[in-house]
Amino acid sequence: MPLLSAILLVPVTTLVVLLLMPKRAVRGIRLICACSGLLTCALGLQLWVGYDPAMGGIQFEEMIPWVAAMGISYHLGVDGFGTVLVMLNAIVYFTGVLTMWDLKTRVKEYFAFMVLLVIGVFGVFMSLDLFFFFFFYEIAVVPMYPLILIWGSGNKEYAGMKLMLFLLAGSALLFPGLLAIYHHAGLNTFDLIALSQHAFDAEFQIFVYPFLYIGFGVLAGLFPFHGWSPTGHVAAPSAVSMLHAGVLMKLGAFGVLNIGMRLLPEGAAYWAPAFSVLAVVGIIYGAFVAMRQTDFKFVIGFSSVSHMGIVLLGLNLAVLGTAGADALNGAVFQMFAHGIMTALFFSTAGYIYDKAHSKTLADFGGLGTQMPRAVSIFILAGLCGAGLPGLASFWAELLVFLAALKIYPIAGAIIIIGLVLTAIYILRVFNVAFFGPPNPKWENLRAMDMSGLHLLPRAILIAALVIFGFVPRLMLDLINSTTMAFLDAF
Amino acid sequence: MEYALLFAPELVCLLVGLVLFFAVVLGWSYSASRGIAMVFGIVMVAACLWTLSLQGEPFFPGIYAVDFFSQLLKTALAVGFLFVVVASAEPLTVDRSGWGEMPLFLVCSTLGMMMMVSATELLTLYVAMELTAYPVYIAVALHRNVDTGGESATKYMVQGMAASAISLYGMSFLFGAFGSTYLADISLSQATSQPIFYLGLFLTLAGFFFKLGAFPFHFWAPDTYQTAPHPVIAFIATVSKIAAIGILCRLLSLAMPGGWEVAHAQTALMWASVIAMSLGNLAALVQRDLKRLLGYSTVAHAGYVLLALQTFAESGLTAALFYALGYFAMSFACFLVICEVGRSEDRIPINAVSGLYKRAPFLCFTLLIGLFGLIGLPPTVGFVGKWFLFSAALQRGQFYLVLVAAINATVAMYYYLLIIRQLYWAEPATQETIKPTPLVALTALATIIIVVAMGTLPGPFWDMAARAARALIG
Repeated sequence: MPLLSAILLVPVTTLVVLLLMPKRAVRGIRLICACSGLLTCALGLQLWVGYDPAMGGIQFEEMIPWVAAMGISYHLGVDGFGTVLVMLNAIVYFTGVLTMWDLKTRVKEYFAFMVLLVIGVFGVFMSLDLFFFFFFYEIAVVPMYPLILIWGSGNKEYAGMKLMLFLLAGSALLFPGLLAIYHHAGLNTFDLIALSQHAFDAEFQIFVYPFLYIGFGVLAGLFPFHGWSPTGHVAAPSAVSMLHAGVLMKLGAFGVLNIGMRLLPEGAAYWAPAFSVLAVVGIIYGAFVAMRQTDFKFVIGFSSVSHMGIVLLGLNLAVLGTAGADALNGAVFQMFAHGIMTALFFSTAGYIYDKAHSKTLADFGGLGTQMPRAVSIFILAGLCGAGLPGLASFWAELLVFLAALKIYPIAGAIIIIGLVLTAIYILRVFNVAFFGPPNPKWENLRAMDMSGLHLLPRAILIAALVIFGFVPRLMLDLINSTTMAFLDAF
Repeated sequence: MEYALLFAPELVCLLVGLVLFFAVVLGWSYSASRGIAMVFGIVMVAACLWTLSLQGEPFFPGIYAVDFFSQLLKTALAVGFLFVVVASAEPLTVDRSGWGEMPLFLVCSTLGMMMMVSATELLTLYVAMELTAYPVYIAVALHRNVDTGGESATKYMVQGMAASAISLYGMSFLFGAFGSTYLADISLSQATSQPIFYLGLFLTLAGFFFKLGAFPFHFWAPDTYQTAPHPVIAFIATVSKIAAIGILCRLLSLAMPGGWEVAHAQTALMWASVIAMSLGNLAALVQRDLKRLLGYSTVAHAGYVLLALQTFAESGLTAALFYALGYFAMSFACFLVICEVGRSEDRIPINAVSGLYKRAPFLCFTLLIGLFGLIGLPPTVGFVGKWFLFSAALQRGQFYLVLVAAINATVAMYYYLLIIRQLYWAEPATQETIKPTPLVALTALATIIIVVAMGTLPGPFWDMAARAARALIG
């Protein structure tokens, strides 16, 4: 069986099996999900190893005509970027299942929705057909509403509805955008590869590109359309926040990259300066807002806006000059690094919340002595967010910053301030919640620190951060050839 | 004999009508009538499938056509009839004395629709339309609560009759302009640049717009949806939409390819589409009654269909037909659950389905799939259907029109999500569980399968719709 279909089929089968299982077989449901997560990781690894960076381009292609009259085909394939992101999704899926191991309420439905989300995300990263891309894109968005509404916490009704309205409003921009590409090309095909060989006239590109950029950008936390993201992260249960911030937001950036920039290079180049400004504002704004938050998850939520700003900035810089390759490599690297890092963040913050039933920073104090392991892991994620050398984000952010300094020195200077701000808000969290005299209220948490199985998912995520932090070549070798080929089109 | 074969679905329909008539006269029990209707419903579906690929003009050349278009829609109508009969087990909202007649009225109306989609002559079309309408007028009035039934039926009937009168008036103009009531003659004529043609066309469309619930003939929809007995409104909301979209396709296909000068008609239909979807969605936002909300949502969906029809292109017709089939299934999923959950209630406020997840998980899932379809989310047919409809409009370069429609779909999502929130999150008012009968459960399953199959494997369905559209254009 073709590898990509196999990766997609694992969660699909899991979903079908889950739906057929009795509600009470909680243990079985968890086990099946964990196995399916592990299997996708193994297949993802096979994909990573099997992808030949020397050859570059699209590999593992498979194609079945679906609606021949409309030119829709089930066309899968990955380039270097797709490979990385498929692996990311597999890791977050597996660790997400492990993170939710202790879930008690409506276990079957929870995992069914989560697996549906995973199916959508895998589909988007692999699809080479506009229809299927959008199909999977919407599938990935749909389960967020029930997941937040049923298993979320806090102001979840508001958060869930806001999230759906923002994301589907983004889709409303994509609908005419994607269809206009199809009809304007007049090739009677939704195939991404065929369309990418068509030269759209400049006027059309300039007109349509903003629809795609903003439509996808909403999901990537594009300033000023990021409002759904922090509230959604906060209200969602841990593993959903992990998938949501870790993977779902990457769908937006991937959409901009794979559809917008690939098909409409001139449009991308035309709009890049303006959108770069938005991205820079997002980086700084997210960091400033994160500084003022009183809630763990809100800090992480706004840090995501800030960090995704780096991705979007990298994408825009990619088309703007000689340092473009660095910027694009950095952006894709950051998608992966931020995905892992933020998954670790939410997984750990969620753990502390589950035990303490509080996520207010000021409630804590000296938690480091009470839950040393959980806190250490959180601190590690925080340091990664601040761009500590030796962790994956360092390289990603460095590449984008260097490119920014070369292309727009002023923007580069500003985002380096953003980096400082990041360090400030992260250290503020450490200072308020983790260090200092322990709050006697939380003495009962001593017995509840992470152990055994709880450590496993976090260990996997940390391992990924450290490995790519020390050996960034593993990543860069894989994506650089794709980047080069991608930028040749400009 | 060959001719009789072409007529097979109608004949079966007529036969079951007669049998049911005698059943009523002889005072057979409701379950017996319903059983007969179900068995014959299956026969009807079989007859439709059997004649699916046949074509010809039995007995009345130029007046009555059997082609793939008509047979495809007849199949859908037969399936719809069967489903609604299943859903109308113990229709407590219908006055007990009227139970026996219910299946009879439904089958008569179905017969009218079958004739409607085959009619190729204006008067035949009109007669078929009336045959469709009258039994339903009565069925709406059969509500157990005389006031409710009376109000609902009066609104429906008065507006329906007004619409059909306008339609007939318009047909007289068309006859005046073309000198013929045969659609074939009308499509060939060059008289289409005259104002009288537009007058005739728009007035004629009134009757069909009424059936579809499209602006500006939608006023009956929310009221009648809210107050009519549940199985009857299930019939109106699902089966009759197939026929309404079908006949609109038939009429508007006369303008293709290049038959009529359609610039003005196109503009008018475009605005009707925009207003219908915006008005339907905005009004639905503030509704607190589930059936009334779905009434407004119908108006919005009529707008989406018109979006494709106003393109006057083959792809638009195909998309509309595809959507008609899909919409039937999505909408039926919702109404089946309403019939089950609200069996003994006259009104169904949205919180009547609160916590349905705990009371009837499978029905709840059915409703969820139906609502996902109406929102337009994958993997349901709603997503694919909208993709095709919007694609048809963009083929004409109507970028902003599609943008408006897509924004509308986002607005619509809000009120559908509120229902979903009630389903899965709110606490139920009663703990009483609802156990659907095996037959109902099977029908629900079949509906889900149709919705998801059309949404994930749209190829074969699209090809069928395309073949039907080609049969229309000729």
